[in-house]
Amino acid sequence: MPETQARQVVEIGYGGNERLMMNMGPQHPSSHGVFRMILTLEGETVVAVDAVIGYLHRCHEKLGETLTYVQYPSIASKTDYVSAMTAELAYVSAVEQIAKVEVPRRAQYLRVIVAELQRIASHCLWLGTWCLDMGGALGGGATVFLYCIREREMVLDRFEELTGARLLYGFHQTGGTRYDIPSGWDKKVRETVDFIERRLDEYEAMLEDNAFFRVRTQGVGVISREVAESVGVSGPLIRGSGVGYDVRRAEPYSSYGDFDFVVPVETAGDCYARYRVRMVEFRQSIRIIRQALDGLPEGPISSRPGVKSVAQVRVPKGEGYTRVEGARGEIGCYIVSDGGPKPYRLKWRGASFSNLAVLPHIVPGHKVADVVAIMGSVDPVFGEVDR
Amino acid sequence: MTLTPVLWHAIEAFIVLNVLLVLVAYVTLLERKFAARMQSRIGPYYVGRPHGWLQPVADAVKLMMKEDIVPTASDRAVYNLAPIVFLVPCLLIFATIPFAPQLGVADLNIGVLFFLAVSSLEIVGLFMGGWGSNNKYALLSAMRAVNQIISYDLPFIFAALVPVVLAGSMQMSAIVVAQQGLWFVAYPVIGQLAFIAFLVATLAAENRVPFDILEAESELVAGFRVEYSGMKFALIQLGEYAHMLGTSFLGALLFLGGWLGPGPEWLGPLWLLLKAIVIFLIVTWVRWSFVRIRVDQILAISWKLLLPSTLMLLLATGLVVAMRGASGG
Amino acid sequence: MAANGRAPAGFWRETGQLVTAVGRAMGITFRNLFRKPVTVHYPDVKRPYPDRFRGILALAYEKDTGEEACIGCRLCEYVCPPQVIKVEMLKGEKRNYAKKFTLELYACEFCELCVQVCPTDAIIMMKSFDLATADRRELLLDKDRLHAIGLEFEPSWATGNKLRDMQAPPKPAREARGEGKGAAKGEAKEPSE
Repeated sequence: MPETQARQVVEIGYGGNERLMMNMGPQHPSSHGVFRMILTLEGETVVAVDAVIGYLHRCHEKLGETLTYVQYPSIASKTDYVSAMTAELAYVSAVEQIAKVEVPRRAQYLRVIVAELQRIASHCLWLGTWCLDMGGALGGGATVFLYCIREREMVLDRFEELTGARLLYGFHQTGGTRYDIPSGWDKKVRETVDFIERRLDEYEAMLEDNAFFRVRTQGVGVISREVAESVGVSGPLIRGSGVGYDVRRAEPYSSYGDFDFVVPVETAGDCYARYRVRMVEFRQSIRIIRQALDGLPEGPISSRPGVKSVAQVRVPKGEGYTRVEGARGEIGCYIVSDGGPKPYRLKWRGASFSNLAVLPHIVPGHKVADVVAIMGSVDPVFGEVDR
Repeated sequence: MTLTPVLWHAIEAFIVLNVLLVLVAYVTLLERKFAARMQSRIGPYYVGRPHGWLQPVADAVKLMMKEDIVPTASDRAVYNLAPIVFLVPCLLIFATIPFAPQLGVADLNIGVLFFLAVSSLEIVGLFMGGWGSNNKYALLSAMRAVNQIISYDLPFIFAALVPVVLAGSMQMSAIVVAQQGLWFVAYPVIGQLAFIAFLVATLAAENRVPFDILEAESELVAGFRVEYSGMKFALIQLGEYAHMLGTSFLGALLFLGGWLGPGPEWLGPLWLLLKAIVIFLIVTWVRWSFVRIRVDQILAISWKLLLPSTLMLLLATGLVVAMRGASGG
Repeated sequence: MAANGRAPAGFWRETGQLVTAVGRAMGITFRNLFRKPVTVHYPDVKRPYPDRFRGILALAYEKDTGEEACIGCRLCEYVCPPQVIKVEMLKGEKRNYAKKFTLELYACEFCELCVQVCPTDAIIMMKSFDLATADRRELLLDKDRLHAIGLEFEPSWATGNKLRDMQAPPKPAREARGEGKGAAKGEAKEPSE
């Protein structure tokens, strides 16, 4: 129940019938994490949604003040844990910005390769869980889910060969990366990427022209361009609403300027448009990986000596903010440094946090079943939202 | 010693009921293995290696041993009666199904009518379950269920009436006998369309994906069954799968020629079982391939598409039979 | 079917599209029926773990002398983000030892930072994660248990020196010095850059 003055719940007038307040979450099979939505229903139509977050708050920003620059990249992956490589990249890039550290070219290319592989894995999980929510744990959704997980396992196997871990890597360090690629890894990555490209055709055949899928996603959860720009969503949400904003193009980082790729933009703004954007991003990520593997330069993987002690990296006084294009949108990391081995202040700009703010604008007016489809297409990860 | 007819029928009913319960249990295993193979995995494996033969037994024992949790705020009488009211019609429909020319509990001469009427009674149990649970999710699901099942019972009945019109009788054994020349599903256009309409209506009347919005595991978390546990849950599951199997048997009898098939007479029941399993597997195949659609879209399909089509189909069938009768004499 | 935002394409055309779409989706599911399942029958069959697999932690012995490799320098204790390692140093004449070494495996993040900073390659990770128990106290590993784990499972590729050499830029002095094993013994701070 909204009690405080500050929280105004937007309600739309509907039919004037009796209203029912229903709680969706925090324990719910399709809330994508711990997230509570208090829905006000009239029959089957949602007239108001009140989103409650904070169930996964783990004090990342305070942890950033107590852990040094050497220790925190392993923890940074736990904010956006589905897309861990981009989260670590945001933190490490911010440190490098303040300390004015040059990253060697090979390290930059390696960062691009793992970030795009991570984007593929994250989108596999997105597609699987979205279809699972829409199709049921016992039903066609589970079929698409298991196919996507089967493909994601292959990408995770590549990460396991590279770093030793499957989900939370600790791959980035200030000045470069921590691991170099083992022999034969680039050949295996090429095979994996070819295989996934073929399987993508299968998913599209299963879902694209499927009348059931279309009828669930077209016209549902339309984010208009004005709402998208004013609320501040990013990533596939804003690209599905007609704004061609991608941080990799707007402010190229880590030699993204060397690669040739297309940024997909759709104008419809509904769930189907966001689905199309992410499916094109799959293929573009594969394209970037192939280009990066072809052009991988020789050289060191770090411009600083290997990590030997906990206070090894000292950063001069200053502040820095970097943004990267995570799988869900723009991840930003703001660090204020006071000259020691730990930051004075660390602030995360979570992509999903801003993306979730669009829910009260688009959900009222839809049916309960659409709420699930919309949540899936917004694709939040609550590590980023609650930090 | 001759037994009185009543006693004889009672024994038959007892045997059919027991066979049915075992069959339903193993049909769940078949569905799980089939679905698993379609998803690149194996399904039940360890219980009764290597194919999980004992899995249904393990599930039954587990459900019997589970704690029976009753919500304090529920409407006790309605809540406790609901699984029984749901289960009984689902088992009763097997009374009219003949497994061989003279083998069946009660081969009524209004067999099809009895089947269709009794199978619609399950909705009462469903609604009782949703209401008695005193849970908003269950209530939402029960309301959707009433909407959906009532809407789809009409096309179901009309699609099932097409073979009745073609055979000229509602007695199931007579319908099967009328298919000795050509199965009804093979009749040009009418047969195939009626079979497809029957399958679609079955999917919806059974709450199978793509029409399973009322149990929607990812939204309503098991719908009207959400507050049931232990043996009551087992009864509801049993009822669902028994109904599913019952409509598969009905489809096999009405459209696929029942017990007719090559080979000696006594193979008849086996052919019937095989055809029912084929229909069940087709329904399972559809279930594991599609996402579900919203309840207003489901209702739109029923009232705007399926009902007019089946009505037209029935009229066309009547016309065909009348013309055949007029020409044949 | 109504409400899909496009102009209605005519009844027969839409029905035709519906039938082909349904057929295509069911065809893919049918094709998967005949593919080999991807299930690995763990624990009867274990999949091969890659060389760099980060598994359970263990303490190692020195290769040439057979003595414990740990010198009790506590670098791993300082670098561990969740602070699960506790070390007490025992001073000796020629070299130091670890008097007590406890590692709380139930809180460990498996980030491999302790392996990375160890100057003597004493703490390493194994290619196994198979230490599940019903009692959390069994996961509070003491020195003897850590040495026993080191002998029980297969070790991963990564040791401190290998990781540092992989990350550091190549310097002529390092190659002239040979593999830097034990060269940074006891060093706790690196001059800042």
